[in-house]
Amino acid sequence: MKEDGTLHDAMLQDAARRLGAGAAERLDVERTAQAVVARLREERQAPRQRWARLPASWLRIAAALVLLAGAGLVARALRGPGGAPPVEAIDLGDLSSDQLRELLDAVDEPGAQEPVSAQDVGLEDLTPQQLRTLLASLEA
Amino acid sequence: MTPAEPVAAVPSPTDAALIAAWQGGDERAAAELVRRHARALARFLAGAGAPEADLDDVVQETFIRAFRAVGTFRGQCRFRTWLLTIGGNVLKDAHRRAKRARVVPLEDELRSTEGDPHEHAVAGEAEGRLRDGLRALPRLQREVFLLRAQQGLEYEEIAAALGTTPGAARVHYHHAVKRLKEHMK
Repeated sequence: MKEDGTLHDAMLQDAARRLGAGAAERLDVERTAQAVVARLREERQAPRQRWARLPASWLRIAAALVLLAGAGLVARALRGPGGAPPVEAIDLGDLSSDQLRELLDAVDEPGAQEPVSAQDVGLEDLTPQQLRTLLASLEA
Repeated sequence: MTPAEPVAAVPSPTDAALIAAWQGGDERAAAELVRRHARALARFLAGAGAPEADLDDVVQETFIRAFRAVGTFRGQCRFRTWLLTIGGNVLKDAHRRAKRARVVPLEDELRSTEGDPHEHAVAGEAEGRLRDGLRALPRLQREVFLLRAQQGLEYEEIAAALGTTPGAARVHYHHAVKRLKEHMK
């Protein structure tokens, strides 16, 4: 590191370099590497279970987005000259965590990637694939 | 008897090569990346306030998140620097969960003196005061300080990792140093 004239205090610099060194030395790196690889393997083998890692509050939000998008698709399909049809509301509060996960898994099927149009982008316009991407970003 | 031929040094694969191998399904590549960067990550996390008892968990979680998101890594900075910033996020989330759970008050947890007594004896007063001072800093200042003073990174690298400008990183660093010096007086 270049000396930039701001850190004259050698004691501070030395302390910063030593900080955490002991704890890092005591880390069993090989064990950590094996544990990480095992978890990655688990995730690869059971990608469908990834919703299980979401807390219930996030599940509820994710499921709400799914329902919103689904309702939009149905409404659009049924929309005719006579006007918009009524869409039945579903209370997510009535669903258990397992039911929410099942709902999310139901839309978590492989599908063709469709481009997102820059115009008129609303939740109801998202395809299941786009929605999965959104949910994946929520999960990250 | 023929003289032994000099053994050609085999260059170790770059991080980028290991990432590509992992994306192709090579678990050994993932393990090698962990071996290569785990200690630097652990030092950074310990400096940023991770209790030693939780260090292994936080390191593991950081790698897991990094491997999940590695497709978004565009080489804007070094893999290690990117990893450290993810570690900062993991630590922040862990602190938030600890606060919510209220099992152990965060401040008490951070002030914990658990760990190897020998380390505490040799760490010295300066290191202990620096640790305390870092806890009092805003997160960005703390991370910029650690990335520069502990990890030895240049401002350009820090800025690329944190999504800011080198000038802003420099300002954060200067503020951090000023406050730490005051704390250590």
